[in-house]
Amino acid sequence: MACENKRILPYLGPKEVKTIQGKTDTIFHQIPSFAFLNQDSVLINEKTYEGKIYVADFFFTSCPTICPKMKTQMLRIYQRYEDNPSILLLSHSIDPTYDQPHVLKNYANRMEVSSKKWNFVTGKKEDIYRLGQKSYMVTAQKDEKEAGGFVHSGAFILIDTKRHVRGIYDGTKEEEVNKLIEDIELLLHEK
Amino acid sequence: MKNKLLLAATSMVLMACMSKEEILHEQYRVEGLALYQKNCENCHQANGKGFKKLYPALVNTNLIKRLSDEQLSKIIKYGVKADAGHEFMPGNNDLQAIEIAEIITYLKDLNGVKEGIVEQRLVKEVIR
Repeated sequence: MACENKRILPYLGPKEVKTIQGKTDTIFHQIPSFAFLNQDSVLINEKTYEGKIYVADFFFTSCPTICPKMKTQMLRIYQRYEDNPSILLLSHSIDPTYDQPHVLKNYANRMEVSSKKWNFVTGKKEDIYRLGQKSYMVTAQKDEKEAGGFVHSGAFILIDTKRHVRGIYDGTKEEEVNKLIEDIELLLHEK
Repeated sequence: MKNKLLLAATSMVLMACMSKEEILHEQYRVEGLALYQKNCENCHQANGKGFKKLYPALVNTNLIKRLSDEQLSKIIKYGVKADAGHEFMPGNNDLQAIEIAEIITYLKDLNGVKEGIVEQRLVKEVIR
């Protein structure tokens, strides 16, 4: 058992190799600072997630297509880690004009989830889209042709305690979310 | 393939001992199920079981007693606005009267109404 090769999750995103005084160091892609309002109108930023493993996604409350599937799957993660303070969730609205804090509050209440574990956030549209595309590396933008008016991926993004992207999963598929849960377990035991 | 043949054979045997009305109900139910899966299931989940308080269950509730076929037709076609009691529901403008009739027949079947169909004529009267 001691010799068992443990799977190590990759570091996703662009890497930068720096040489400082003859030593090479790899700088992994990292989620930058951010600041958004959550369902309690409380400012949420990178400090809220400091030292935590978290799962992020992009959605909007009036989405008739893939969001409901994503939310049923995210709720599985919520329920599984409800009593584990090391794991948090972060859902960004890509329709922040409509999804004001009180709308998000209603949504969270109807799902019977707590903001201690799961933040639903809204903010400047450009900030959310840029963060989604550049940092979480997923699609998120307005598109009048799409049902509901926005195009976005159903991805769940797994972020480690140092804000590195360690996995991207299809949040609409149960098997993929099973894999995500396995990977969370790996991260929990990572030194 | 084998399974499909078996299914076809079984349903033929079944159909043989069903009345015209039963066959019609079954046709509407099966079509309604497929339409439900395409248009409703994302939110209301498989078999209408709903999701928390976000997307209301369509079974084990008083839905069928509370709402007439006409009211259900309008809700499916045009959706509902959000209010204190519930979230908004988007309309399904592309659905035709016959399709709405099939969906409601399916929903009523889920709720124990195992016979009869919803006439598309009735749906046509309330949507345009």
